[in-house]
Amino acid sequence: MNGPILQLSGIRKSFGGVPALRGVQFDVRPGEIHGLVGENGAGKSTLINIATGLLKPDAGEIILQGQRLSLSNTRQAVAHGIAVVHQEADLFAQMSIAENMLLARGLVRGPGGLINWPGTYREADRLVTALGESFNVREPAGGLSVARRMMAEIAAAVSEEARVLFLDEPTSSLTTKETKNLFAQIRRLRDAGVGIVYVSHRLEEVLELSDRVTVMRDGETVETRPTADLTMDTIVSSMVGREVDQIFAKRSVPIGAVRLRVEGVTSASGAFSDLSLEVRSGEIVGLYGFVGAGRSELSQALFGLHPLASGKASIDGKPVAIRSPRQAVAAGLAYLPEDRLVQGIFREHSLRANVSVVRLRDLSTATWIHGNKEKALASRVIGEMNVRAESMEQPIGTLSGGNQQKVVFGRWQSTAPKVLILDEPTRGVDVGAKAEIHKLVCDLAGQGAAVVLISSELPEIMAMSDRVVTLSEGRLTGEFVPATDGEEAIAAAAVPRAVADDSAAADRRRNPLTRLLQVRELGLLVFILGLSLVMTVLRPEGFANIDNFFDILASAALPAILAQGAMLIICGGGIDISVGSMMGLVAALAALAAKSGAHPAVCLALAIAAGIAFSMLNAGVSLTARIHPIIVTLAGLSIYRGVMRMATGGKEVIQLPDAYRAVAVGEIFGIPKIVCYVVAITFLTHVFLRYTLWGRRLLAQGNSENAARLIGLSKTRLTMMAFAYSGALVGLCAVLMPAYYGKVQANTGAGMELKAIAAAVIGGTNILGGRGSAIGTLLGAFLVALLYNVLILLEASSYWQNIFVGGLILLALIVDAALQRLRGERA
Amino acid sequence: MIRRLFTSRESILLYVFAAMFIAFSVKVEGFFDWFSLLEISRYWVVVGMLAVPMTFIIATSGIDLSVGSIVAMSGIILGLLYSDAQVPIVVACLAAILAGALAGAFNGGVSSYLGIPPLVVTLATMALFRGLAFGLSQARSVSDFPDAFLWLSQGDAFQIPTGAGGSAYFPVPLFALATVIAVGWFLMRHSWVGRFTECLGENETAAHFAAIPVRRLKLGLYTACGAVCGIASIFNTALYSTAKADAATGMELEAIACVVVGGTRISGGRGSVLGTLLGLLIIGILRYGLKMAGMRSQHVVIIVGALLIVTAVLNERMASSGRHAWGEAK
Repeated sequence: MNGPILQLSGIRKSFGGVPALRGVQFDVRPGEIHGLVGENGAGKSTLINIATGLLKPDAGEIILQGQRLSLSNTRQAVAHGIAVVHQEADLFAQMSIAENMLLARGLVRGPGGLINWPGTYREADRLVTALGESFNVREPAGGLSVARRMMAEIAAAVSEEARVLFLDEPTSSLTTKETKNLFAQIRRLRDAGVGIVYVSHRLEEVLELSDRVTVMRDGETVETRPTADLTMDTIVSSMVGREVDQIFAKRSVPIGAVRLRVEGVTSASGAFSDLSLEVRSGEIVGLYGFVGAGRSELSQALFGLHPLASGKASIDGKPVAIRSPRQAVAAGLAYLPEDRLVQGIFREHSLRANVSVVRLRDLSTATWIHGNKEKALASRVIGEMNVRAESMEQPIGTLSGGNQQKVVFGRWQSTAPKVLILDEPTRGVDVGAKAEIHKLVCDLAGQGAAVVLISSELPEIMAMSDRVVTLSEGRLTGEFVPATDGEEAIAAAAVPRAVADDSAAADRRRNPLTRLLQVRELGLLVFILGLSLVMTVLRPEGFANIDNFFDILASAALPAILAQGAMLIICGGGIDISVGSMMGLVAALAALAAKSGAHPAVCLALAIAAGIAFSMLNAGVSLTARIHPIIVTLAGLSIYRGVMRMATGGKEVIQLPDAYRAVAVGEIFGIPKIVCYVVAITFLTHVFLRYTLWGRRLLAQGNSENAARLIGLSKTRLTMMAFAYSGALVGLCAVLMPAYYGKVQANTGAGMELKAIAAAVIGGTNILGGRGSAIGTLLGAFLVALLYNVLILLEASSYWQNIFVGGLILLALIVDAALQRLRGERA
Repeated sequence: MIRRLFTSRESILLYVFAAMFIAFSVKVEGFFDWFSLLEISRYWVVVGMLAVPMTFIIATSGIDLSVGSIVAMSGIILGLLYSDAQVPIVVACLAAILAGALAGAFNGGVSSYLGIPPLVVTLATMALFRGLAFGLSQARSVSDFPDAFLWLSQGDAFQIPTGAGGSAYFPVPLFALATVIAVGWFLMRHSWVGRFTECLGENETAAHFAAIPVRRLKLGLYTACGAVCGIASIFNTALYSTAKADAATGMELEAIACVVVGGTRISGGRGSVLGTLLGLLIIGILRYGLKMAGMRSQHVVIIVGALLIVTAVLNERMASSGRHAWGEAK
């Protein structure tokens, strides 16, 4: 075997002063599978992130084939042939599988740089088939099972000219069959000379697959050896066999009656099933398992955060049915969450407020908080927890991790819980604070609480627990007494094994009706035709004639054009409610220019330029100041209208020149000009959104800002582009509307923003971004106009009209929310 | 303590207000006149009332764009019940408050239980409720309310001697505004409602984990906001002696501007009702001062809008620099 293809040496990395990697040595040779194992928190993910350009090391070198690399983003790593498949791939849920696979790596493009969809699908199909899989790459990725997402990711990563491939827990949710296929592919790649780093908790797999194994522990590489020299036992012992340099202050307390009893609980999401557990007063039960074993899911379900499908629980012999955290607290349960920053603290709030939050109602009379009681509680807890802080009014975000954790611990301690669940209570906490937290846990147990301790650190579990229960893949796999059973037995029981259950990974079944409902354009068309048919019967002379049809088209035209821009902005995750006023302002400026004798073409160019400028101003202010576009454009709504009135002196602009009016009035081949504009703009937007790389990137950005950043897309550029496009359309409409109606009024364009947003949302644009359709938007605009027409023909009062715009937006939103739940795009 | 007197957000706003007041008094002839100042304050009552629940909603990092429309709809319901259905005025007022509360509950229910962002929900209901106001009234306005009702907004509570033999009257509606502000201030500063609201705006996930009933709290806040809109509609109708469907148009912008100028951040996490009161005073004085200086009211809207953006940016910037200051102190 020749020298290493990728070499990492002396890699160091710290997060907020806590070292994650302390001088790691690691290398991969071409044509080898290198297993990388270690406990959670050993530093494997950090190492991968540094090797693939997501993180920069504090010190150390990355050497690819003798050449030193300095990676500042993932795209550079990909360009060097370093690819990675992450454990939980963030994906663009509303886009097709094929596009998810190929967006970052190159969609197949045809003439004019336009995307060749059949080619793209064929390419994705080829990659998937090469992996021995068969699934429809045209389906949205959000509906795919986790296993298949992973297969698609791997297929895509393999497609590149990868020289080094990192696989992070690729099989954690694959079935036996899928795992077998994957292994065959990995071996094929190895034989082709790719260096593969295989990270897994499943030691059996690592032993089966790899040529060499590196064990990491506490941010260091413990050893690297050929797999032939290793057994499961030797790996486990070097994974956990750290020097005991921490004093675990376990104090024995008398163990009493059963406090918490859980019988046969099964999660509604399938994270765990049929779990039973008993914890006694004064007892500390260690719950040990790897990430994904269902530890946190179980505790959160007991705490009322996630629903249970079946099973029951009781505290002190009394059955409890907990459906919300409040009920859990009332029943005497406390849960210290695993992710302190996201689930635990209110960063900018004081220590006092962070401590008292759960007890606040007890400290209040008729919602009035007794300030002195709150202070007394906070100072007692801060004292007991030995929190080091200047004052209780200090924002908690300014404390060290250990002190923050003590505050959150104190929050729950102050509820005097009967049952306390601690989820990784000492993660990211320095040694001193760790010992203090351990002492506090023992104190609580001494007061009679039943404690469940979840930890990925086996030594902690061993030292602190009276009993250890192991959890693997949502099932209990053993019960141990730390004093008599060894670490190895416990670790071995927690190691996940490949599941033999193929049906679990089957794709969500979907019935044909929901499938059809998803084609929004079709639904809209059916609805429009149906309504037209009904109207033809009801009002044969008024409704069913060509003039009325053109009337509807004409009144749909301007909202339809504006809506295309609104649709793009919403697709990218923004919104602009100032387009109506902006259009009024631009219309006034263009009309004034026309009356002063400017050529219509000049006026049109001027209007479009002004529209782009104003719209980009909106986007620019919102992006640079990082405030939501709704606020900027809400202010813009009145500013533009105010400026317009300044420009016109509040008067109408009438008697526009005939040449100017000819821009919108008249026909081309018997079709009203205004309709031609709509068709052209819709076509253009459709091509842009569907067939250009920029359109697809905009959608990707709206789907997941995070995933978009991972593949190196710029939010600023994409947002600016969408707003500029919308601005150009505002400029166009600002000329068309006055040209068509012959004047600019003080309220020209008023309410247009709502019609535009309504058309976009009715047309199937996801208000949260990431999905939209030009044709759907056009149909949406037409439907709104048709409804108005119907109302007029049915002689309904015009004063009810506003209800329809608002009501239709709401209806579309509610239908969308329901459909998304059905598709599983939202939790 | 003394440093806080100079650097707290509220005191800065107070100085800005004082400086503006002095500048207008010196520069603009006819500005400093107790009689007109007290008269003009009647017009701040409705906006001020809306701004109080808006402070809570923005503190949760939400928004309610439909407040102006709810005021119009409730006002129309009040007017129609009184003039067409001939119900007693007190019952009509209660119905207006109830209608407002229902409208608010609709906003809150759809946004928190269906997970649709409040900005789009309330953008849609802004049109929906306005449409209801127009539809129910057929754009007809209702007047001829009893004097006792009009007194709510137009009445004088007592006489204030202003020196040199002149006198001014203290407007009755200011008591109502003061009550709403006092209740809001109490709830925000001294009750768990405000504390939970701020926690929810700061970190919604952690709020769930800290056993705060997030969804119910949001529903409650939007409902309360609607109810206050209902109350405001009573004062708005009494002020103009008329209920009409285009009442309070654009008032959401002014209410939001008061809140943001008052230092409450759009991204949520903190709310200050006192700040909102100062925001109301600053915008009120600015409007009045510019009008006295000869600027047209349509142009003043531009300044209010610009002020909204500038202060929203300042709020975010100040918040992040505040964090740094603490970090360095450590």
